[in-house]
Amino acid sequence: MRGSSVALTVSVPLEAAATLALPGVAGVVLDAVLAGRPVGWAVGGLAALLAVGAAASALAAVAGPACTAADTVALRGALVRRVLWLRPFPSAVERLCGERPGPGDLTARLVGAAADAGAARAARLAAATALVTSAGAVLGLGVLSPWLAVAFFAGVLPGVVLVRLFMRTAEDVFVRYQEAQGRLADRLADALAGVRTVRAAGAQRQEAARVLGVLPELGDAGRALWRAQRRTVGQVTLLVAAVELTVLGTAGQLVAAGRLPAGAFAAAAGWAALGLGFFEQVEALVGVAHARAGLARVREVAGLPGPGAGGRELPDGPGELVFRSVLVRDDEGAVVFGPLELTVPGGATVAVVGRSGAGKSLLAALAGGLRLPDGGEVLVDGVPVAALSVAERRRAVGYAFERPLLIGPALDEALEGADPAALAAARADGFLARLPHGGRTPVGELQLSGGELQRLGLARLLAGNARVVVLDDATSSLDAATEHQVDRALHESTRGRTRLVVTHRAAVAARAGLVVWLDGGRVRAIDTHGALLADPAYRAVLSGAAADADERRDGRSRGPGERRARVR
Amino acid sequence: MGRHRRALGGRGLRELAAVVPGRAVWRLAGWSAVEALPALCSGLLVAAAADRGFLAGRPGAGFAWLGALGAVTALRALAARAVFPHLAEVVEPLRDALVARVVHGALSRPVPDGPAEIARLTEQVESARQLTATLLRSARGVGFGLLAALLGLGLLAPPVLPLVLVPLLLSGALFVRLLGPLVVRRRAVVLADERIAAEAGRAFAGLRDVAACGAQQRVSAHLSALVEAQGEALRAVGRAAAARSLTVAVGGRLPLLAVVCAAPWMVGRGWLTAGQVLGVATYLLQQLEPAVRALAGMLGSWLLDLAVVLDRLTTACPAPASPTPPVPSVPSVPSDDSSLSVEGLRYAHPGSAEPVLDGVRFELRPGAHLAVVGPSGTGKSTLAALLAGVLVPDAGRVLLGGRDAAALPTPERAARLALVPQEAYVFAGTVRENLCWPSGDRSDAELATAAHRVGSARLLARLGGPDGRIAAPAALSAGERQLLALTRTFLSPAPIVVLDEATCHLDAEAERRAEEAFAARPGTLVVIAHRISSATRADRILLLDAPGPLLATHADLQVLSSFYRACSGHLPPADGERQTTPPEARETTTSPSPGRAPSGTRGTAEPSRERAPSGARGTAGPSC
Repeated sequence: MRGSSVALTVSVPLEAAATLALPGVAGVVLDAVLAGRPVGWAVGGLAALLAVGAAASALAAVAGPACTAADTVALRGALVRRVLWLRPFPSAVERLCGERPGPGDLTARLVGAAADAGAARAARLAAATALVTSAGAVLGLGVLSPWLAVAFFAGVLPGVVLVRLFMRTAEDVFVRYQEAQGRLADRLADALAGVRTVRAAGAQRQEAARVLGVLPELGDAGRALWRAQRRTVGQVTLLVAAVELTVLGTAGQLVAAGRLPAGAFAAAAGWAALGLGFFEQVEALVGVAHARAGLARVREVAGLPGPGAGGRELPDGPGELVFRSVLVRDDEGAVVFGPLELTVPGGATVAVVGRSGAGKSLLAALAGGLRLPDGGEVLVDGVPVAALSVAERRRAVGYAFERPLLIGPALDEALEGADPAALAAARADGFLARLPHGGRTPVGELQLSGGELQRLGLARLLAGNARVVVLDDATSSLDAATEHQVDRALHESTRGRTRLVVTHRAAVAARAGLVVWLDGGRVRAIDTHGALLADPAYRAVLSGAAADADERRDGRSRGPGERRARVR
Repeated sequence: MGRHRRALGGRGLRELAAVVPGRAVWRLAGWSAVEALPALCSGLLVAAAADRGFLAGRPGAGFAWLGALGAVTALRALAARAVFPHLAEVVEPLRDALVARVVHGALSRPVPDGPAEIARLTEQVESARQLTATLLRSARGVGFGLLAALLGLGLLAPPVLPLVLVPLLLSGALFVRLLGPLVVRRRAVVLADERIAAEAGRAFAGLRDVAACGAQQRVSAHLSALVEAQGEALRAVGRAAAARSLTVAVGGRLPLLAVVCAAPWMVGRGWLTAGQVLGVATYLLQQLEPAVRALAGMLGSWLLDLAVVLDRLTTACPAPASPTPPVPSVPSVPSDDSSLSVEGLRYAHPGSAEPVLDGVRFELRPGAHLAVVGPSGTGKSTLAALLAGVLVPDAGRVLLGGRDAAALPTPERAARLALVPQEAYVFAGTVRENLCWPSGDRSDAELATAAHRVGSARLLARLGGPDGRIAAPAALSAGERQLLALTRTFLSPAPIVVLDEATCHLDAEAERRAEEAFAARPGTLVVIAHRISSATRADRILLLDAPGPLLATHADLQVLSSFYRACSGHLPPADGERQTTPPEARETTTSPSPGRAPSGTRGTAEPSRERAPSGARGTAGPSC
């Protein structure tokens, strides 16, 4: 890393210097040849110059990517670590530090922006060298004769104006081109959204033709872009020619007057060409601009709030979970959840119920520190969850979700070391064994149903062996028979642990020692299922509660009309 | 070597080159030759200006010769302008061909990956276009200039030609030899980047799960390894490029050294004049060296990138297999026989262990009305796709009007059966275009009747009648799009209609009206039920649930299936409960939504097996 950086810093200017010196040295050699003087030394110098130039250029070719690679790896590594240790759901305080980019944006920053930023050193060096080379060439002309430099500038300055003018006109046309491109993308997106209809009707070709209907428009805009370039390129070509001819004419005049040796004529030609190379170096400047933009986007991520100190260890204990005055605020500071006072004794089971949007998943996230509360604290065996280290937090609280996402190159890693017993308890061993590549199946290639995914999520939970387990609607996609089995197995394998179960099912709530009934972010009631069942509003948030209540109401039957009314 | 040649995307390049009009290419070459005139003449005229002018003490003559060079250069500026329209005629058709290829590829893929297809269309195609344009604009000029300079050199001083040509050819050969490995390494970098994007994308979308499992360390180590691998691939490109940079030294600068070494001897023997030496030096310093340097740089980066992009585009979107005859815009006369039967249907998703559907069979007489119900993930949408021929069954067959659907040509199959999936297809265009899609034309009266019966008359009026324009389909609500799709299908001549949760975004009353309209429409109707009320309107009901498919009437199922009983009697179906997932969790999964299935017994003769789960996309709708 150090070496490649030094090599780059040495080789790029050296290469430029060799390129710059070439016309001058060649001019001296030619003078010697034309004057009939011995050329041995001069040729030796030229050969040495060429060798140095070649070596420097080869070194630069290796060192450039090596430098970029080192910087990119460092930036990406830091970004990955920063993002992975973010709290999954930012608290109100954390959101104050700036809107957190979505996963797609974060990925784009990792892949695109970090790579751009990683190329910063090479880009800056290239741009500086290009400018120095051009400047050096003009200087060379000036050393030969100030008139040559004057002749050069007389032509170049209008060129800069032309290029700026082009940028302005091209921008309008380019916007038009991009708009046409956007319409094309929209049409394809529409067709892809309806691809089942299209395929069922066998109308793929017809739809392709419709999407491609935008092409003439795109072609028109594209040709307009070419026309804009055409004007500028024609003018710049003329201008470059004028510069070259002015410089050559001036040099010829000076040679004829005997004020310059003949070889200087060749040198002037070479330096004029190098000086004009400036016009081709716009790209190097664009590279620098890209690198700067990339770095800014990477820095934004680095500025997101980190996970905090969190070095505390989990003391021995039964797994008591305490919510102490826990509340959650929205961006305006209004309380949207809580305040929640709840103590779940070690080994107890608490069900969390409520309508959608009542804050059940939020409560689950708070329990394990996936989101920090904006007031109050959550304690496991007396220690704030937020203060636990990652490893200790994992020992303290484990999760299973309604839609678990598997993270890892292959299933084996994604299951966090779930053993056969855990897989069996989650009823995931059967279909896992039937996968053609078993645990080595890449996660990206899995095609699993919601139920299969949930079973893997449960196996992953059991692998963690946490004191408190949080089941966030984690068996909702299982069919009745499997759910029954999984439920029983889960009950067995998490016996003695503290359980927080988010559910919609009356049967699950009935098994819990206590039910927390949430409504609009507030606790509506904390009581046993049996006690709450009398409330029709409570029954309405649970599936199966009506049937349950029916039984309790000693078979007071309901008419079919009444039943129908409950069906949406 | 063969591997490298393939890596250069030779096939892709050739296929694409075929779409470029030959005339444009020839004109481009012609103007390029004119553009190269100064390169051809520069040394000759400079030598003359020096020999007969400045060195002979006659600056006037010298300026005259330089004036000639000026005239030639003016001609070059003219050519540089004239070249552009022909450049456009090469590059724009190329882009059109690539776009067409991507669009056809996307629409014919079984499961198109939307974002990837759009990225291909906008980013990859555009980068291929820009690279081609840049190469043609810059490298073409430089290449022609190089050739012209060599020609001029030969005219000016034939004896030095071998001294220039030998190193140049050597370097050219070296360059070509190195290009293959460079493309391979460059592609390795691109693939490493894509790997990072895929794996990091999943991990960043699953931050909740990473944190919940305390897996930060593991995931971070894995991603860091990928990042390192990409860095290594990049370094490998640098190592290969170092050898390339030597080609510039050999081809661009060695000739100068050779000429300078030989010059005293050649001048001494009278083979060269002083002016010729200056002219040769002008060619070498001003034309050859910059040209070789620029070519190596441009070809070594842009051509590499172009090769990689084209290679990836052509791999992802292979050229259409064979020029299939164009689908007639008016499908063949639909068969009036609207019977639909299914025999021993089995289907497993690719890569899935268990079939999602197995042993499904039923027979519907013309005019029948079947509802399909079952918990989510039991293959209801898969069944619809199999009926419509969008999926091909692993076993069993579908008979449309007594004919095997698999054996029917697509237009004829589409003329017999129309599928309305949950995600309605509405495109930018007039209401009429949307309603008469995919073929055929209907009178305003027909459109009005259909709209009235399906219940979309008010929507149509709001959109401005049949000739109203739908500018952005996304601006319509999901329910409005469904109404349009339903009206379209109501108008279709197909005697069999399959509604796959096609009314899920309508309210219960609108759903009833639409379904009753279809039931009254002549022909056979299959409704994949979103609400249980759909089942009560059907003659017969196919229940897909563990342990196997069951075909019965509403009354029978009330007795036979606890799931059905629960749905139709006691329980609100799963609808409202889907909303509980926090949005951040929902965005990223493609798995079907949960369905509720209380346990119970059943009496059925179907083979008993564990319920086969489904990973079908598009089954995300809540269901009963």
